[in-house]
Amino acid sequence: MEDYFVQLKHITKTFPGIVANDDVSIDIKKGEIYALLGENGAGKSTLMSILFGLYEPDGGQIFIKGKEVSITSPLKANKLNIGMVHQHFKLVSDQTIAENIILGAEPMKKKWGFIKSIDIDRANKEVAELSKRYNLEVNPTDIIKDIPVSTRQRVEILKMLYRNAELLIFDEPTAVLAPQEINSLLEIIKSLRDNGKTIILITHKLDEIKQVADRCAILCKGKLIDILDVKKASTQQMANLMVGREIELEEVREEVKKGKVVLEVENLSYKDKDKVSKISDVSFKIYEGEVLSIAGVSGNGQVEIADAICNMIRATSGTIKLNGKSIDHMNIRERAEAGIAYIPEDRQNVGLILDFPLYENLILKEYFREPYCSKHGILNFNEFKKQSNELIENFDIRSGKGCETTVRSMSGGNQQKAIVAREIALNSSLIIFVQPTRGLDVGAIDNIHNKINELRKQGKAILLISLELDEIMALSDTILVLYSGKVQTIEDAKNLSKNQVGEYMMGVHNNA
Amino acid sequence: MLKKMNIFQRIFYAFCGEGKARKLRTSIFCILASMVFGGIILLLLGKNPIVAYKSLLQGAGILPKIKYPGRKNQLTDILNLLDYTTPMVFASLAVAVALKCGLFNICVSGTMIFTGILATTLVGYSNLDPFVARILVVIIGIVGGGLLGALIGWLKYRFNMNEVIVSIMLNYIINYIASFVINSRYADPISRESVEIGQNARLTLMNFEAMGLKMNISLLFPFAILVVFLIDFLMKRTKLGFELKSVGTSPLASKYAGMNVKRTMILSMVISGALAGLAGVAYYLGTYGSIQPRVLPALGFDAIAVALLGFITPIGCFFASILVMIFQCGTSYLSSRLGVLREIASLITSILLLFSACAVYFNQKADSYHNKFLMEDKSDE
Ligand SMILES: Nc1ncnc2c1ncn2[C@@H]1O[C@H](COP(=O)(O)OP(=O)(O)OP(=O)(O)O)[C@@H](O)[C@H]1O
Ligand SMILES: [Mg+2]
Repeated sequence: MEDYFVQLKHITKTFPGIVANDDVSIDIKKGEIYALLGENGAGKSTLMSILFGLYEPDGGQIFIKGKEVSITSPLKANKLNIGMVHQHFKLVSDQTIAENIILGAEPMKKKWGFIKSIDIDRANKEVAELSKRYNLEVNPTDIIKDIPVSTRQRVEILKMLYRNAELLIFDEPTAVLAPQEINSLLEIIKSLRDNGKTIILITHKLDEIKQVADRCAILCKGKLIDILDVKKASTQQMANLMVGREIELEEVREEVKKGKVVLEVENLSYKDKDKVSKISDVSFKIYEGEVLSIAGVSGNGQVEIADAICNMIRATSGTIKLNGKSIDHMNIRERAEAGIAYIPEDRQNVGLILDFPLYENLILKEYFREPYCSKHGILNFNEFKKQSNELIENFDIRSGKGCETTVRSMSGGNQQKAIVAREIALNSSLIIFVQPTRGLDVGAIDNIHNKINELRKQGKAILLISLELDEIMALSDTILVLYSGKVQTIEDAKNLSKNQVGEYMMGVHNNA
Repeated sequence: MLKKMNIFQRIFYAFCGEGKARKLRTSIFCILASMVFGGIILLLLGKNPIVAYKSLLQGAGILPKIKYPGRKNQLTDILNLLDYTTPMVFASLAVAVALKCGLFNICVSGTMIFTGILATTLVGYSNLDPFVARILVVIIGIVGGGLLGALIGWLKYRFNMNEVIVSIMLNYIINYIASFVINSRYADPISRESVEIGQNARLTLMNFEAMGLKMNISLLFPFAILVVFLIDFLMKRTKLGFELKSVGTSPLASKYAGMNVKRTMILSMVISGALAGLAGVAYYLGTYGSIQPRVLPALGFDAIAVALLGFITPIGCFFASILVMIFQCGTSYLSSRLGVLREIASLITSILLLFSACAVYFNQKADSYHNKFLMEDKSDE
């Protein structure tokens, strides 16, 4: 009898129209890193939410250290030493790191012997000790909103550790991180294991699994397909099992002749509310049939460039021309109509209206024009649904109730697919992709990469902003590297190696 | 699972738990619960709640009374009820439209006084042809209210002022200006209210004689029904309605989709204001006929809870308005029959509104039962 921390037995969970988990049984040993792999919508997040007490299963049992338990709420999960880092962090942005960590488990002291109050000094000290013990550097008194994403993630991890979690669940922790940060997170995860913690890791990146995981369970459409010993399996094998077909991890690119200039950005600058310069003096051109990528460490102004082109933010100075005409005076809708499609970075708050059904979200950029809307302003939902069903088919968007599904209940990856589908369908001359494959499974990534190549062949101009260097290297004709809002280099992709791009990203050279 | 719950939890779950027509069931639960509470109070006062509720319904014209004074019968009572309901329908719609767009319009009361005093002074004392006068009054209601809504929306747009604070302040400003106008020029020396308006401008036909009866017929009620359907259509089927809901749900995503967020907000305040303005003329130039100075109509605030009771949908607002007005109209009869204070009916109404404001909480509570009992059941197996 092995020493299991968690045993999930025959877990079944259905949502209206879909079986999210279908008789799934997994056993997780104490002190191992257990990876969950599966396509978008395979039911990974659902399974973990059940273990964390967010959903109740329709059937099945959960054993913790051999004892059957019922986990009815996250509070109960905490008591059973289970912690979870959600893909979308749950932190109070106006409070300090220490305050966030102790929230709900505050150390108390008595003032003048009787008035109870929170012992913030002790909290700060405890958090500092904890962060030292696990090598998770944070400054307990920093305010959450001032710290970068990767530090916030550390705070989430510390939050679990502070509550004495022994089983740590990570739901796609690396999707929000830049490559360097990913490596350090993986190191942290490994050292947590070496400290005796048990870890469940959900990720779509096979090399990450290869790097840290001991075993890996593969889910497909709610069912458990296989459990692999990671050391003995190849990434190709994992990918094939997961998608249920052969995946080509290598992509082929054809030569495409560049056409006319589509987008011309000149001396673009942007300062934010506090007059901090976010982009300064950026100029570039994108031609028909060209993919221009902007590489850079997260937060170096890439997203601001995309936002400024679409007018989500107003550029402080500079000019932008689309197809030879200035679009500086245009508002967001006019620019979109002039031929700009935009896949934004924040899919949940910007790209989608989560509480609206899928069919309304898929027509969000076109609802005001025929055939979706008559001249008198009356909407025709049949047309909405017709077009939506086509997109759902073409882009393999999976959900419980087809186009009627509320987007909030869809899996993260399928939400992303919905945005990509909508924007590509606009048939614009310029398409801006910001992190288009974030949170997608290998099959879906492959799909989107093929779409990008196809669009390039059709003569579209494509601006790709990504934190994934591999993605940039695989898809681009031209690479622009940005460092603290300034162009480091613009170069034909053939002349740059991955290492060189990495060096430019750190601001080591400057070619511009 | 149901076996584990006690009887109260079981009933509660049947009304507020997951399943079909949940909103409707929850509303019915709120209504019944408030009646149970009211019943307990009545019992404490030594009155029979069944008789009390029956006389409430009789007073509102839903059930026949034992005897009627001359030239009155159940029909006249029902017509009265509809007359009282009309302003509430408009007022709750006003709240609902703004809420759908994520705005909180608590200036309904102020807007009512505003259009009330405008229409009273401009048309109420004129001797225009009745047809022209009434059309004018309605137009003043719509335009006056719309302009006031536009002002609130514009202040929010231009100076980023919070619409709630602007609304509260406008309530005061309008209220005092209106009292000033009434007291200095139009006050009736006996009632201390504004002089009653002429019948030619009145939106309710008072003491209309037909079939041997004297009835008060609200001319605006059919229009109110029409407006309910119009607003329903606007919200569900039109581009503007789509934009309103979208801005109300996620301003950021709406901006990204190319909608003019600020313009949409102003528009929703204009529509909301126009509806509140209609409520004003229906109230002051229909049901009543004069304006009491220095009193904000409570109806404008009750409308907030009525809109919530109606789950912020136009059709829901309509039925919630009728329900609340049944309570208010039945009060006199109830108090005269049972010898209880009039306030008891207002008390029950208030409890109802309090419950309806908790509807979402009830649903969550039911869900938590669902979790708790279902899970315990499992672990026993
Ligand atoms: N609250 C919910 N209501 C209805 N359906 C849901 C709900 N949550 C999840 N689903 C459905 O269950 C299925 C599994 O979703 P889940 O989020 O577990 O997928 P996932 O494996 O985490 O996918 P991804 O990699 O895209 O995050 C999806 O089809 C989703 O639409
Ligand atoms: Mg997920």
